[in-house]
Amino acid sequence: MKFVVLTKAAVPLSSAIRIDPKTGTLVREGVPLTANVWDRDAVEFALEMRDRYGGEVVAISMAPPTGILALESLIGMGVDRAILASDRAFAGADTWATAHVLAKTIEKYVPDFDLVVTGEETIDSTTAHIGAQTASWLGVPYLYYVYNAEVRGRTLIAKRFLEDEGVDEVYELKMPAVISVLRSSQIPREVKLSRKLTAREHLQIVDNSKLGLDQDCVGLRGSPTMVVGMSPAAYPPRKRIVISGAPGEVAKKVAEVLRELGVVCAVSGLQ
Amino acid sequence: MCSLWPPIDKSLYNGVWVYLERDGHKLKDVGLELLGKARELAAKLGGVEVGAVLVAAGRELAQEAIYHGADRVVLIENPELETYTPVEYAKAIATVVQKYKPEIFLIGATKRGRELAAYIANSLTTGITADCTALDVEPQTRDLHQIRPTFGGTQLAIIKTPHRRPQMASVRPGVFPKPPRDVGRVGEIVVERVEVERKTRLLARERRVEIDVDLPPVESSEVVVAGGRGLGSGEGFKLLAELAKLLGGTVGASLMAVRAGWVPHSRQIGQTGKTIRPKVYIAVGVSGAIQHIMGVMESKTIIAINPDPNAPIMKNADYAVVGDYKEIIPALLEELRKYLS
Ligand SMILES: Cc1cc2nc3c(=O)[nH]c(=O)nc-3n(C[C@H](O)[C@H](O)[C@H](O)COP(=O)(O)OP(=O)(O)OC[C@H]3O[C@@H](n4cnc5c(N)ncnc54)[C@H](O)[C@@H]3O)c2cc1C
Repeated sequence: MKFVVLTKAAVPLSSAIRIDPKTGTLVREGVPLTANVWDRDAVEFALEMRDRYGGEVVAISMAPPTGILALESLIGMGVDRAILASDRAFAGADTWATAHVLAKTIEKYVPDFDLVVTGEETIDSTTAHIGAQTASWLGVPYLYYVYNAEVRGRTLIAKRFLEDEGVDEVYELKMPAVISVLRSSQIPREVKLSRKLTAREHLQIVDNSKLGLDQDCVGLRGSPTMVVGMSPAAYPPRKRIVISGAPGEVAKKVAEVLRELGVVCAVSGLQ
Repeated sequence: MCSLWPPIDKSLYNGVWVYLERDGHKLKDVGLELLGKARELAAKLGGVEVGAVLVAAGRELAQEAIYHGADRVVLIENPELETYTPVEYAKAIATVVQKYKPEIFLIGATKRGRELAAYIANSLTTGITADCTALDVEPQTRDLHQIRPTFGGTQLAIIKTPHRRPQMASVRPGVFPKPPRDVGRVGEIVVERVEVERKTRLLARERRVEIDVDLPPVESSEVVVAGGRGLGSGEGFKLLAELAKLLGGTVGASLMAVRAGWVPHSRQIGQTGKTIRPKVYIAVGVSGAIQHIMGVMESKTIIAINPDPNAPIMKNADYAVVGDYKEIIPALLEELRKYLS
């Protein structure tokens, strides 16, 4: 079976981020990118499926050249091969234009895919769009928040958890299909250094001369959404009143504050 | 312009429409909240229609939508759509939106809403912005300002979909107020039969029993008492729960407290958890990392309890209470009980 993992080479939260003042998009060039943390759940999920059913796992990412670093560590985890779709023309893409490149890369390089696996969302943009958009591009069914799945013939039996409803559901999907993996639902395996060191042999970089996509349908120009402005988030200024001293005194003062705020309510107090 | 975008005549797109998600035989609040916002945007656009799309629901629910601000409700009918499945629902909704051509289409960013939204947008060859915290329109261009916090949370990005229609955005529950129910409102209910090609099927559904405190969710509470790694153990949460109960509130947590297994992820506050806007937020044993602060910025009042007066949370608090929670909270509980009796 052929498994594709879509992964974002994300800007790590620890690094100083920069926004391009002209386009309002995050600058990813020249920043050492790491695989989005929750994609590790997706990679683990795909690797386990491959170990069970045989076949290969192909990781695909659209990123500037520094995205290689992220893919190398996924190869170190055991991904069979990786494809980096990288071209200056892809820069500044919104989720529509990103899913476009990813889907076309899948169609061209893994046309016989059985299952596309994504992380739940990325830590740096948290839209959870790419899975559904890629499914739409590929014309296949999809399901989000999956934590367990098995293959029966040409169908996937997938268990998923909806955190906001506290509900588990089991679905049957015709394959090929796209799923997103519930974050923190897997225990990602370690990166094997010996394999990571050979990563370049399993890594292919494709640019738009290979994909042949309309330049107007990728990157910033091919994005239906546009960042037109930035404004500093206006948050209420804080009073910063310090309350310190003996615990009993402090507690009295805090109780006073809570009463003034009107949140000490007799009704709830009876519980 | 991208050759894959079918040419559209923007002037044919009118009205502000909302997808209404059901929870069994009830409408989820987020859809009603969006109807309230839709009315406001529709007024700014010169009094255009507010529409709603409902899948496999009865007329009573359509009527509720009208009471909450809809002028027209499309009921998608098909026995095949009784139970929710993502691709079939997304296609059916996209079909109806394609037919009625609203200029704006809004979706509540619940887990199911997030699953549907981007597929619908793609089916309509349009863009979508996730998790908007504010929406506005430019009356001249009729462009929707889709406003969302960006990476880091200190900036808000204003996003537009200038060349495509409908303009789509998702909004998390609780961001906009629920409009009042007005039984005097009238509107039209239209039934649309939409065919689906079945590719997904629901086989089983079960409510998970999570180990959780018996308290309301963080996003709907006026008072949230959150615990962090500084609590030292899950036992600490019992004290916090007692305090939360006296204040008619609930407990929340930092990522570290969730990682430690003291409370479920559904109670995590911050960039990768919930964004909350309570009247009072009390952070106990939380250092106040930026990813945490992002989720509580819009609280009316922030109280922090921490022995470290230099912890970042103390600079972001209205009341920085210096001390050990194990001493302060029991004393505080006593004070509050004295006052209540
Ligand atoms: C991608 C990413 C996403 C993240 N998302 C989130 C998120 O959504 N939410 C989130 O919270 N974090 C998030 N984090 C983690 C965040 O950076 C911090 O690591 C985390 O918030 C710290 O948790 P904490 O405050 O509980 O623990 P710590 O930082 O360890 O702070 C513990 C605090 O407790 C205080 N303390 C110690 N003893 C006591 C006592 N007896 N009484 C009172 N106080 C005491 C200490 O002084 C200290 O200030 C994210 C990080 C990353 C990289």
